Amino acid sequence: MGSDSAIERTVEKILHNTEEQILSSLKESLKSSQDALSNSHVSLEQEYDKIISEGKKEAEKLEKQIVGNADLASRNKQLVLIEESIEKVFVKAIKKIQDADRNSDYSKLISSMLKESIHTIGTPDITIQTNSKDKSVVQSLLSKFPGAILSQDVIDCLGGIKVQSKDGTMKFDNTIDARLERLKPLIRKDIASKFGR
Amino acid sequence: MSTQGGVQYSKIAEIKGPLVVVDGVESAAFDELVEIQTTEGERRLGKVLEVGNGKAIVQVFEGTTGLSISGTSAKFMGKMMEMPVSEEVLGRVFDGLGRPIDGLPDPIASKFLDINGEPMNPEQREYPRDFIQTGVSVIDGMLTLVRGQKLPIFSGSGMSHNILAAQIARQASVVGTTDEFAVVFAAIGVQYSEAEYFKRSLEESGALKRSVLFLNLADDPAIERIITPRVALTVAEYLAYDLGMHVLVILTDMTNYAEALREISAAREEVPGRKGYPGYLYTDLSTIYERAGRLHGRKGSVTQMPILTMPSDDITHPIPDLTGYITEGQIVLGRDLFRQGVYPPVNILMSLSRIMKDGIGEGKTRADHQEISNQNYDAYSRSQEVRALAGIVGKAGLTGVDLKYLEVGDSFEKDFLTQAVDENRTIEETLSLQWKVVSLLPKNELIKVKDKFIDQHYKER
Repeated sequence: MGSDSAIERTVEKILHNTEEQILSSLKESLKSSQDALSNSHVSLEQEYDKIISEGKKEAEKLEKQIVGNADLASRNKQLVLIEESIEKVFVKAIKKIQDADRNSDYSKLISSMLKESIHTIGTPDITIQTNSKDKSVVQSLLSKFPGAILSQDVIDCLGGIKVQSKDGTMKFDNTIDARLERLKPLIRKDIASKFGR
Repeated sequence: MSTQGGVQYSKIAEIKGPLVVVDGVESAAFDELVEIQTTEGERRLGKVLEVGNGKAIVQVFEGTTGLSISGTSAKFMGKMMEMPVSEEVLGRVFDGLGRPIDGLPDPIASKFLDINGEPMNPEQREYPRDFIQTGVSVIDGMLTLVRGQKLPIFSGSGMSHNILAAQIARQASVVGTTDEFAVVFAAIGVQYSEAEYFKRSLEESGALKRSVLFLNLADDPAIERIITPRVALTVAEYLAYDLGMHVLVILTDMTNYAEALREISAAREEVPGRKGYPGYLYTDLSTIYERAGRLHGRKGSVTQMPILTMPSDDITHPIPDLTGYITEGQIVLGRDLFRQGVYPPVNILMSLSRIMKDGIGEGKTRADHQEISNQNYDAYSRSQEVRALAGIVGKAGLTGVDLKYLEVGDSFEKDFLTQAVDENRTIEETLSLQWKVVSLLPKNELIKVKDKFIDQHYKER
């Protein structure tokens, strides 16, 4: 009887100890799994934030790319259209100049061109070239410019004159074509301003 | 813009390299624009370099190949070389002389500006203070670019400077302000493939809309390279001071510019300076670099990032040497890092942004920026020493702290320095990475940062 109770006590003790061990290890496991869960929450949130922010960045990049290219394409189309309109204005203006009357105002223009050319070349001894239409106008002005002679060769231009020194080493192009070419950037700007640019 | 035409002279005395000597010239001005006409009617542009004794020496931008003494004439235009400018230049592509090459018409000019620019009144200059975010960590974090600064990139032949340049052009922005930002990109003497890369890169990212490209290709006449940076800066100045934009000008490759200058100098038979470059190389470079800045009372700014390849990676070569005297620091690309496959291969120990301190900190980037940057410098420098030591005694001979520094060096190169070509990092991301690198060290090793910043940002690894 005595030995039975001793055995029972021992078994109970062992059972109690084992129970305590199991409970404590269960507690530990619970704690560690809770820790792991909360840690994974943090890393999950970080990962989530990272994915969202990268997605946002990518979306912004794409938006910038699409909007930027579309803006540019439409602006470029507008530029081409404006340029076409400017060219049309130029063609009409050139036609008007070609058909202009060679009246007294025109004669004054040629006279001022001659003065300017002589001043630029630096000598009154010049040979003048012009087109067939302006030949008579230039001829009539020659008396005012001693030293200037009119070449028999005609040049192809809208109007105005080309002058050169007698030895041919210096030339000055004062034709309407050359003036138009020189002033084209400024004229383009004026025409474009009429289109609201 | 002058409306007066010029006299055409047909007495050519000599053609020598890129120069044409015109005889019997009555009146011509220094730097005057000249139009050279060939016998076939082809027109080339040039400018007067010297005038006197009835002679004018003209530098022909498009080269003198095919010109002969008889039949060639020179027309003196009575004006300096000008660049037509307007807001419409944004999104456009020009050649090295400022002529459109994108198939679109000439921009309708609001103004015609002399490409040599107007010298800035030193008294009117404003000190550069505000931050430009490039999205490249090593630049934003440790070599911060400031609006109005001139910060060159010193590279070597074959290295990734052009990829870096394109990345900066795509990503650069001003933060914390609604002011407009633009990039003027001047490629000087680059290969066709590189020019295409720059163009495509800006187009595909949508950044072309706010950019202007000037492309002078390797097979374009070398003399054109003298003009390219000047037309680019003229446009930049217009965008900055007339339209109030913050403009970043990237000039690549300034070595090609200096080579062109040497070519002209040799043709003019000038006394050569170091390595054959003209004695006035410093002065000439300064006329380009000094066009960066800000002006009192003007909203915009011109910031410059000239890129130059150092022949034989020699930093004492006249071009980087003289550039370094004029600019406010330098970003040096390292051959070793490049060989290891690190991009961008910036050697921070040889690099410096002199006015970084004024463009960073609280209200600009973040309060801890300067200190964490200093700490990274310090730690990376120490890691290099430890690497050298490990090469002699082996890792086994190192102390625990030394081993930590080795890890810092690796992490600095892998986590902070290395970046994808299309990765645009914000300044916050950059600063976090800097903290991540130094967090490998024990707290007591962080001697460059205040405790309050350590408490805020240090996360032991």
